[in-house]
Amino acid sequence: MRRLLPIILVAVTVLLMVIGLTSVGRSGGTVGIASGSALPGFSSNANTPEQALSNFLIDVQRRNWDRAFASVERTNDSVNEQSFIQEWTGTNGGLRTFSSLESYDARPLHATDSEAQMRVRLHWSTPVGPMEDVRDFHLVHRADQWKVVWDEVPVPNVPSQVIPVNYLRWDLVQGGAGEQWGSNNVDSPHVRIVSMNAVDSAEGAVVMGEIVNEDTIPAFVNVQATLVDAAGSAIDDESSFDKILHVLLPKQVSPYRIDFPKVSLGKVKNVHIDVKATLVPASSDPVIGVMNQKLDTDAQGRAVLHGELLNQSGETVNVPHVIASFYDNNGKVVWVSDGYVQRALLPQESEAFAVEIPKSLAGKVQNFHVVVNQYSMHNS
Amino acid sequence: MTSNEIYYSRPIPILTILLVALAVHGPLLLMQLPSGSFDTNFHIFLASHYAHHWFNPWNEKWFAGFSQTTYPPLTHQWIALFSTVTGLKLGYMLVQLIGVLLLPVGVFRFARIWVDDRAASYAALGSIFLGALSFLVYEAGQLATVTSAALYLNALPYFYEWATESSGRALIKGVVLSLTAAAAHHVTLIFGVVFFAGPVFWIACLDARYEHRERSLAGVITRALVFVVLVGIGVGIVLFPYWVTLIQHPIHQIPIPHDSRNNFLLNSITGVNYFLIPYGAMILALPFIFLRGSASPRLRPLLVGFWLSLIFGLGGTTPLPRWLLGRAYEILTFERFTLWATLLAMPIVGLLAVQLLDRYRTKAAVGLAIASVVTIGAALAWITANPYRPAETMDVNPVISFLNRDGHDSYRYLTLGFGSQLAEVSTYTNASSVDGDYNSARLLPEMTQYGSAQLTNAKFYGTAGMASLRAMLEHANRYGLKYIFVHDSYYEPLLTFAGWRQIESFDHGEITAWSKDDVPPAHRIETDAVPPAWMGLLWGTLPVGVSVLAMFLELLLPGRRRARRIIETPVRITDRESHYVA
Repeated sequence: MRRLLPIILVAVTVLLMVIGLTSVGRSGGTVGIASGSALPGFSSNANTPEQALSNFLIDVQRRNWDRAFASVERTNDSVNEQSFIQEWTGTNGGLRTFSSLESYDARPLHATDSEAQMRVRLHWSTPVGPMEDVRDFHLVHRADQWKVVWDEVPVPNVPSQVIPVNYLRWDLVQGGAGEQWGSNNVDSPHVRIVSMNAVDSAEGAVVMGEIVNEDTIPAFVNVQATLVDAAGSAIDDESSFDKILHVLLPKQVSPYRIDFPKVSLGKVKNVHIDVKATLVPASSDPVIGVMNQKLDTDAQGRAVLHGELLNQSGETVNVPHVIASFYDNNGKVVWVSDGYVQRALLPQESEAFAVEIPKSLAGKVQNFHVVVNQYSMHNS
Repeated sequence: MTSNEIYYSRPIPILTILLVALAVHGPLLLMQLPSGSFDTNFHIFLASHYAHHWFNPWNEKWFAGFSQTTYPPLTHQWIALFSTVTGLKLGYMLVQLIGVLLLPVGVFRFARIWVDDRAASYAALGSIFLGALSFLVYEAGQLATVTSAALYLNALPYFYEWATESSGRALIKGVVLSLTAAAAHHVTLIFGVVFFAGPVFWIACLDARYEHRERSLAGVITRALVFVVLVGIGVGIVLFPYWVTLIQHPIHQIPIPHDSRNNFLLNSITGVNYFLIPYGAMILALPFIFLRGSASPRLRPLLVGFWLSLIFGLGGTTPLPRWLLGRAYEILTFERFTLWATLLAMPIVGLLAVQLLDRYRTKAAVGLAIASVVTIGAALAWITANPYRPAETMDVNPVISFLNRDGHDSYRYLTLGFGSQLAEVSTYTNASSVDGDYNSARLLPEMTQYGSAQLTNAKFYGTAGMASLRAMLEHANRYGLKYIFVHDSYYEPLLTFAGWRQIESFDHGEITAWSKDDVPPAHRIETDAVPPAWMGLLWGTLPVGVSVLAMFLELLLPGRRRARRIIETPVRITDRESHYVA
């Protein structure tokens, strides 16, 4: 026993560790922290394109940039590690700079003995919710190892220029030092719900429509809705959250959408809408133009509205947010959809956007209206 | 024999060991080194509630209300008692120091079950320098785990004495100390039955069999059962409100990721954090522990207990914890098992020290001292080097004073990017938060239905964390959540798009305050989780009462002086010559 017991214990330990190296022993951890790589000898060899891509993306996920960059096949010498990192971590305070690669699904598009093409769906965790990104990777076989080919990614370069700005701004003079924002002793701006529609969706009931600021001063608005059943009891109450333009300039119209997850409209007798509006200081800058809007079907067969945002001002918009309302041929709002743009919108530059429409509604849509919300670091 | 040889051949007096423990950990605790750890503020927060509402375990300050009967109260109640004189922080340090001082005493007494007094004294001395101990005290802030382990180690020799010698006073003291350990931390006691009491029971049976004592094996088993039943009933009574709360509201939340459940082979930093640092120089002793532990039949139960703790401490590196624990695997964190593994190994490490000192004298003493200092030094250095360290401390006083003025405390608040300092804000403000730093007490669906822990750390839990935060923000009006304090610009885009506006900034912009205008004042959230008054009375008297009783029993019922005997089975001469040290 004295010789056998340590052998048994060590053998069982090693066996358990080997089993642990399979998926059984793996566990998710925290994200967004450099968390080290596998110990030498424990990372899988890049013997297949799938394995090579997996190793690469795990290094990106764990922010092991040196290892990730060392593992790629560079197309030219001008590709440096800094630009490689920037491609993954974003620049200019865009949404990507806040994002962490959480997981990915890869599938081969085609493969030969010497090269392969893989399509990867990258799942990002961002402050405004999960985002997906589809990207194709080219891999080549070099000296018994597969490598991801990394091309130089062009970085937008804004030339030095002077941008004249001529925009409206509303300042708010506070009555006293002790008074807080929103508690000023002035009348609330006049805002009005101009349309409301309730529909059932796969996730639950949805209440949507449009709201207008009828006043001559800017308003900060929130829309709250309560679903009431036949007995007069509240079923659920939710708010428009980020599916509304909270700051409405005079005469500006914004779509709103309020989701009630796991609630069926069949039980709903009435909908109470509560609009809160407060006078706030506001500015019409930055001006963001919406260009080349078009309803289309994307590569994955989804109905989308896509177009381009053009930053017409002289300041960077870090996170642009697009909210679109879709109308049927009677002018009724049939859906409200939103989407965030991952790259920052540089002055005088444009970025593409796309928002999805449920397939069942795509045929009904006759018209649409897009508004752009934004987060800029220096304005928050 | 030279004076040096005589010195090395004697056990180190326990008083000397205690003084060393005091000299090493006393200054570190007086410097309040654990203040920046993960859990210290959490323990202080719970203690502050007892300081103000001793008999009312319902705490409105977290999760829009939660019951403190979800966490054994002993250490917090003692902090609350000390705080009347020392303040909360120093009270915490004092209770932690008591735990740290009780540990080498416990290791000494526990080790004497397996090895002689000399090896036991080396084990006790070594336990002061354990990397796992420093890791838990100064980085993790696991006050209750450390204190409970120390109390439990002190209880086990009584269990052994009762089982083998049928000593009535050992039974009483053992049971009361076990109940005190449970009142400090229930998880330690539950798992301690397997990892600590299991080997002790095994050795008691072996001793009864091999030493042909007047008591039979059946007698040992019967007495052990009596002990277990008494402790079981006692724990049921002392922690009665805890069990009622657990039955009423079982922990049904989505599993929350924790890095101690990672595979350390596939993630080098977790390997360093949860294996290299806690074990330190003991890694060099692992071959000896396995070989020496196997060589002696008396040490085998200890070896098996150590091995099992070691495997559990490896978290997701092996699938065994997941297989054996089932769903509990996703709730537990595994660093505590490493502390237990090192404690279980200490008697064998004590034997190693004896062998080394006998053979190499001063050289060995210097080598062991260096190994000990390097181990604790590395653990302390790792506090600042490790990427999982708690966020840098910030000045939260402006946040506290903001919440405590102008009626701001009539609304609820949330912190983002505050890490463990969320609990510091909660301790000193009158306002209530929807967030909190104790996962098992959460009942709000916005938190339990996502695989995320504290909202203040939401981004580290990825999509699940941000979905949980989003759900809470969507229901801000429902909970009266008006104020959000941000110490990480990561969260600013979400707040901006969701309708919050920045209203103030503190500490040169380090912290910003955000507000939402249409939020009504907070109202009490209706729940059936509020404990009745009689339960508060039990909670306020039994746990602390049992600890006072344990102290009285130690003073009033002194233990019998144990006859000197060789309790570690001698190894044959041929074995001794093999010297398992590298």
